[in-house]
Amino acid sequence: MGSLNRTMRPLFRAGIRDLIRRPLFSGLMLAGLALGVSVVTAIDLASQSAVRAFELSTDTVVGRTTHRVVGGPTGVPEDVYIEIRSRSGIIQAAPLVEGLVAVLDFEERPMRILGIDLFAEAPFRDHLGPELAFDPDFRQFFTEPGMVIIGEELAAANQLVPGTELAVQVDDHIETLTILGIVSSLGSSDILLMDIAAAQELLGASGRLSWIDLIAEDPNAVEELRSQLPTGLQIISSSQQRETADQLTSAFRLNLTALSLLALVVGFFLVYNTITFSVLSRRTVLGTLRSLGVSGEQIFTQVVLEAALVGLVGSLLGILLGLLLAQFALALVTRTINDFYLLLTVSEVTLTTRVAAKAVALGVGAGVLASIVPALEAARVAPIQVLRRSEIEEGTRVWVPRIGLIGLALAAAGSAYFMLSDDSLARAFLGILIVVLGLAMMVPFATQILMRLFRLLSTRVLWRLAVRGVTSQLSRVGIAIAALMIALSVTIGIALMINSFRTTVENWLDITLYADIYVSSPSAIGNRPQARLSPSLEARLAQLEGVATVEAIRTVHIQGEFGELDLTAVDPRRVRDAGLYRFASGSARQVWDRVREGAVVISEALEFKNGVGDSLMLETDAGPRTFEVVGVFYDYSSDRGTVLMSREVYMEHWNDPALSSLGIEALPSIAVGDLAESIRAELAGTGLAVQENRQIREEARRIFDRTFAITESLRILAVVVAFIGVLSALLALQLERKREYATLQAIGLAPEGLERLTYLEAGLMGLSASLLALPTGLLLALILIHVINVRSFGWTIQLAPAIGPFLQAIVVGLVASLAAAVYPVSRLRKMPIAVAIRGE
Amino acid sequence: MRVAIVSLVLATALVGYFLLPTPTDSQSATYELLGATGPPGFKRAREPQEFSFPQDHGPHLDYQTEWWYYTGNLVSEGGDRFGYQLTIFRRGLTPGDTQRESDFATNQIYFGHLALTDIGEGEHVALEKFERGSAGLAGATGDPFSVHLGGWNIESLDDTGSQVRLRASEAGIGLDLTLAATKPIVAHGERGYTLKGETDGAYYLSFTNMETQGSLEIGDRIIAVRGSTWFDHEWATGALGPEATGWDWFGLQLEDGRELMLFHIRTKDGGIEKVSGGTLVEPNGESRWLTVDEFEILPITTWTSDTTGTTYPSGWQIAIPAEGLELVVEPWIKDQEMRLNIEYWEGAVKVGGTVNGQGYVELTGYSGSIQGLY
Repeated sequence: MGSLNRTMRPLFRAGIRDLIRRPLFSGLMLAGLALGVSVVTAIDLASQSAVRAFELSTDTVVGRTTHRVVGGPTGVPEDVYIEIRSRSGIIQAAPLVEGLVAVLDFEERPMRILGIDLFAEAPFRDHLGPELAFDPDFRQFFTEPGMVIIGEELAAANQLVPGTELAVQVDDHIETLTILGIVSSLGSSDILLMDIAAAQELLGASGRLSWIDLIAEDPNAVEELRSQLPTGLQIISSSQQRETADQLTSAFRLNLTALSLLALVVGFFLVYNTITFSVLSRRTVLGTLRSLGVSGEQIFTQVVLEAALVGLVGSLLGILLGLLLAQFALALVTRTINDFYLLLTVSEVTLTTRVAAKAVALGVGAGVLASIVPALEAARVAPIQVLRRSEIEEGTRVWVPRIGLIGLALAAAGSAYFMLSDDSLARAFLGILIVVLGLAMMVPFATQILMRLFRLLSTRVLWRLAVRGVTSQLSRVGIAIAALMIALSVTIGIALMINSFRTTVENWLDITLYADIYVSSPSAIGNRPQARLSPSLEARLAQLEGVATVEAIRTVHIQGEFGELDLTAVDPRRVRDAGLYRFASGSARQVWDRVREGAVVISEALEFKNGVGDSLMLETDAGPRTFEVVGVFYDYSSDRGTVLMSREVYMEHWNDPALSSLGIEALPSIAVGDLAESIRAELAGTGLAVQENRQIREEARRIFDRTFAITESLRILAVVVAFIGVLSALLALQLERKREYATLQAIGLAPEGLERLTYLEAGLMGLSASLLALPTGLLLALILIHVINVRSFGWTIQLAPAIGPFLQAIVVGLVASLAAAVYPVSRLRKMPIAVAIRGE
Repeated sequence: MRVAIVSLVLATALVGYFLLPTPTDSQSATYELLGATGPPGFKRAREPQEFSFPQDHGPHLDYQTEWWYYTGNLVSEGGDRFGYQLTIFRRGLTPGDTQRESDFATNQIYFGHLALTDIGEGEHVALEKFERGSAGLAGATGDPFSVHLGGWNIESLDDTGSQVRLRASEAGIGLDLTLAATKPIVAHGERGYTLKGETDGAYYLSFTNMETQGSLEIGDRIIAVRGSTWFDHEWATGALGPEATGWDWFGLQLEDGRELMLFHIRTKDGGIEKVSGGTLVEPNGESRWLTVDEFEILPITTWTSDTTGTTYPSGWQIAIPAEGLELVVEPWIKDQEMRLNIEYWEGAVKVGGTVNGQGYVELTGYSGSIQGLY
């Protein structure tokens, strides 16, 4: 071992010196790797921070609670709490009243009202810690309505002090809250803490609780209580509660992670490229070393160690860069989580050791993995053997078809893998990764074929030189082309998928958004079930001039046999368009006749995730009831599943006359804009949003684009990494071909000719990558649409053919590779011919 | 007397509840909370008034603080001795009733202390409970007389409120006792009005001897007991003077059929407030007010709590020369410290000397937390 170390140390130093001597290559390799790692880290951080923030805010609310008594959409009658509380048993209980309000002063930001009874709280939560700073007097917390306590983070961010008044939108009215105190122990900046009485009054929930928290260590006591609860109420454990955020957003976050890994895959190619080049350029040195008695094994180890070091440094840089990127990623991630899943504010990313360790492992792993082949190559160098470049390329040409075949086999195996692998999303991603790697391995072979075709296009010398340049350097440029191809195909795949998704959703909106005008709580809360509008609004709007029909809509969360579901209660007299259903028993008319009698229609996400059959159990206020399922409809508004039901049936089973929104159809005699104005005038002071169909559609489109903003940015990053790949490949080629260039110049090729040659070669690389990316991109789009989306969200998306993404990929590929040639060309000009030719 | 105690208990308990662990950190907040002179709007106890029962056993929401205080000495059939305390305090945040939509809305806070002393085992357990005075969680009524706090209940068994049933059970201790007054209600001081400071006082009524029977719950054991209870009911609004630091209170039942209530309000300079005093109740129920000059209370030993480090007097010589009484009062067990959000000592005692007896003693202000409160 000692002797090995003695040998290895100078070897390793030589390797490092080599890396330092070529700052450009090492820099590019580091940059590529660091960028790949940074993207993974950024997504990881953003996703983790979002989950952690939710956990924190859940912890704030859950505290030391072990169980929770929950009810239907209107919660739990308060008498149940009084009953549990006055027992001298071993169960501790605390009542909670929760609701969402939009804070008008914060651009209608939704915030959570949490109404508590301080006297029941102590065993449960530490909202109010020792540094409680009540001013002027906490008596008001109990005795005056509208008093809130906020966290210091929120206070600091908005310059709030005790006494500050906040105007908030609550359902269909606007109320004023007064900040009574600021505490550090609230754990979440989304919470407005109130006395339970004040919260009930504010939210119009007198007599009702959102839920009852319990601390019960004895399972028998829980069972006993469970058996005594009135029908319609259930006990759930708080561990179930905590898992929600994780579960709700896991598919979304896994998608992001998978995308971020793509950037790393591209980075991986970069390392492979650079290390190979480094090994090749040191063949003479390595040969000499071998003749001095250094074993092939030692050289192998040295190359791998070098790559590991690069991986380590790259990871560290990647983590730093990732921290910066994470700020942007976080904004995008939280936005989507807020749009679709949960109310969440995350203001900071925290680097956890887990994320850092993962980044280092990925970076070093990618480095080491990428170096294995070049390292083997280096280890095989015979003593004092100096291979000519052409010999290596001869060898490569033998390898090209073989690698291509292996790639084909891999791609086939990968496809088979995710197609056969049940419904697992993670396996689908693994399958895709294998397919992508397989396709990448086919790139050199495909490039060879392409070049043969290109050769036929022109007989000009420069063209032929360029085509041959690419072919003869396939071991170098093949990798760069593969990296670029992957980046471009991902671009195409994602663009096609988003485009198809957008088209599908727009078609769907055409069907679902039938009404001319919608009335709801402000958008931030409007699509959440907490909104409770007065049922009297229906009649109030119906009597307005120009109104043809008013449909009252109620959207709530309910418990069912598959956990929490979204339920939308609508007017079944309006028959929804036949295009809405993926499956229906009978015509649309027949379906809605059955819905009027008590049947339900479910969303395909619900069907897909749970395999719902002919009937569905839901927890009603009168206990569990089974509803007949008469249709499955397309729905892109929720990925956990929606149940559509008649509002009359809903009110029979749930004591909840409140509304979530109203859809209004205008008489043909009135302009929709005018009717919207008169509705706004009628509802003045309520703070309710009155939106025309067109506005809702725009809003939906905005949310859609927001959702995919992060996906878009990720593919741009992949292109950036690929760009670095082409740049480093070109530089490598240039260094290797100094003599060739010198000869070419010596026999009369003008310097401009050399420059053009370089551009041509770069362009050919870009073009090959782009062309190869076209089928690959389409394949990826198909997989994303038919496998990943279905498994992630249970949504059916129709592939919408589009030429744009393909053209875009070709342009991006060409521009990226030509841009990558700019620097190498400028170096070309400085290259002294005499020195170069002297080597011959 | 216990106005002061209750004010302090309320102040510290409430504040301590929010400001765990040490109430002394936040004396300004406490001061703010209570207001040195009581918040505006509450009635002050400044002169005697007429009572009518059972209404006046119930709550007086115009006054800020009020409490119902039961302490007693009990004996099991096997001869084991026990002491118990069940107290429910009421504190008004604003005067009068409240009219709001939510059933939870309230301006009343109720809290209670429950303690059992197992004299034979030398054990004392105390615990406390808080509730808002609404939604059926806690509250009090005058006719019929009842007070409840969570599952703790004081319920009148007759029209006058002189017979009650006490029920409370929490965390392994509990009681279910039926109490019947053996003497008419005692109105302390001037027709039930006792001065506590220079200007303010409290209304103070007692059943000094209530025949008691029922059961105690200690762990898994249910123990049938009988004995006698002392009941105090007081209400006031910020009564203590600025110099007060704490107080010693004695409620003693003597075997000759007399009962004796005495209290000393201690002052910063080590003296005794001149409004301190007591009541001697004759076997026939007639009672006489004793001024501070008519009796002498001399501590004879002290006891230091291992847990809190507080030192309390732990045995007294009491002399009332005009009555020929020379009493020696000693705790049945030393450690009957109430280690709750406020620390004080409240425990069962035995009486010897010229006449034997039993009773309860309450000692506050020894842990130092009262300084600066008033």
